[in-house]
Amino acid sequence: MKLKITDIIALSPSIRQFTLADAAGALLPTASAGAHILLRIPGPERVWRNAYSLVSSPEDRHAYKIIVRRVEHSRGGSVWLHDHAAIGEVVEAETPQNLFPIPRTAQKHLLLSAGIGITPMLAYLQVLRKPFELHHCGKLEDAEAFARLLPATPNVVLHTSRNTLDLEQLLAHQRLGTHLSVCGPESFMDVVLQTAQNLGWPGAKVHKESFGGATGGAPFVARLRRSNLTINVGSDQSLLEAIEDAGLAPPSLCRGGACGVCETALLEGIPDHHDHYLSETQRACNNTIMPCVSRAKTPELVLDI
Amino acid sequence: MNKSRPLYKPFALDLTGREHLVVTDQSEPPVTLDLTLSNISLWNVRTIAPGIQAPPAGRHRAFRAVPEMHAFLTHHLARASVGLRLYALGSEPFIWDTYNIGSAAGLTSAEMFLTQSGPPRRRVYCCHCKTMIGDVTQTIALCPGCGSSLQVRDHFSRRLAAFMGVKVDAEIPGDIPLPELLAS
Ligand code: FES
Repeated sequence: MKLKITDIIALSPSIRQFTLADAAGALLPTASAGAHILLRIPGPERVWRNAYSLVSSPEDRHAYKIIVRRVEHSRGGSVWLHDHAAIGEVVEAETPQNLFPIPRTAQKHLLLSAGIGITPMLAYLQVLRKPFELHHCGKLEDAEAFARLLPATPNVVLHTSRNTLDLEQLLAHQRLGTHLSVCGPESFMDVVLQTAQNLGWPGAKVHKESFGGATGGAPFVARLRRSNLTINVGSDQSLLEAIEDAGLAPPSLCRGGACGVCETALLEGIPDHHDHYLSETQRACNNTIMPCVSRAKTPELVLDI
Repeated sequence: MNKSRPLYKPFALDLTGREHLVVTDQSEPPVTLDLTLSNISLWNVRTIAPGIQAPPAGRHRAFRAVPEMHAFLTHHLARASVGLRLYALGSEPFIWDTYNIGSAAGLTSAEMFLTQSGPPRRRVYCCHCKTMIGDVTQTIALCPGCGSSLQVRDHFSRRLAAFMGVKVDAEIPGDIPLPELLAS
């Protein structure tokens, strides 16, 4: 679908909120809290496909809102949105998907976020009907930007240094009906998940958002056996993006190695797995790969597509 | 094989948990537990007769009866923290009542473990007058509510923690087969 930027608000020098409406003025598809949208952002050499959580109210069908941090040495996308995108600009987007829905059976929500990972929580806060507690970790200058978007209640705590958040203490004292939802950089989520696991949290009560985890890496070559194509995967793009740039349209959903939709059979080469989907055994077999996040340990991979 | 009939696994501690609470409606716990470990507790039901000392409260608690234990469990779970695993061992009505108390407190099926033990005793729900009949050991039960002779079905309701009982002589009144002992 085509979306038009109808408003841009600078929340801080490096964080902006964009409002997007249907380019033709139609109503937008509803997106439940926690949903993200994939934008196709024009870059100098290629199109970036970046996922952003919607922060707008899930009931609002007139506009989607996203919050974007300008990442200097990023894979692009955020820089274009900050430096080039102007009100009136039209961008291509895909219908929102939700891989981080509100856990419905929770009697209480414990929300933990870091950095720009606060964005899905902003959507949550507008619709949660059960008690909640939000702890956000971030830089001081960001905290001020986010503070304006958050309710000033005692159950919302901003930590400008990770030291003020005693994770163990927090996770060890939650009532049985509590569900934990976490969003932020991989390193942050790993610490939270590991701590929760050590304290006996069952997987069914821990929910994490993981999209757009692709960070790039060393370039390699991929041979697409059935399509009879050989492609170069650059250091700043994912294998999935390189396949898409070659004109193919393999299925994908989270683009963060979580959903398993992009799973592709691997015929030759050794993959460098970065996903959270495959089991240890599946990984060890070296015969399947999640091209949205995983790369190569060998100079070349041969894929069955 | 009736699909509604739950399948039970043999008792085993789930070591991913931080605290373990084992409850049983039997006087002798059907498993051996190392109660010197600080994160394992055992609750059972024990008839306290003159001369028999009630064990001190702590890791091991003995209750006079199941309702007392269940009332205490509700109270206990409302204050418990995520990380707890709850194990129920005993008769089917007991373990499913325990399960429902756990669910209401916010435990998921991944945090509760049920093991059936002891002779088969079923709680039967009379489909005609909604009376609950406890401790049924035979295939035919007499409903104290409406006087019907009920065939004890294998159909189990988790919500009621009971098996369905349906009039056995609905077709030909008075045609009641001989009851047999329940096999499971
Ligand atoms: S798209 Fe979800 S795992 Fe790759």
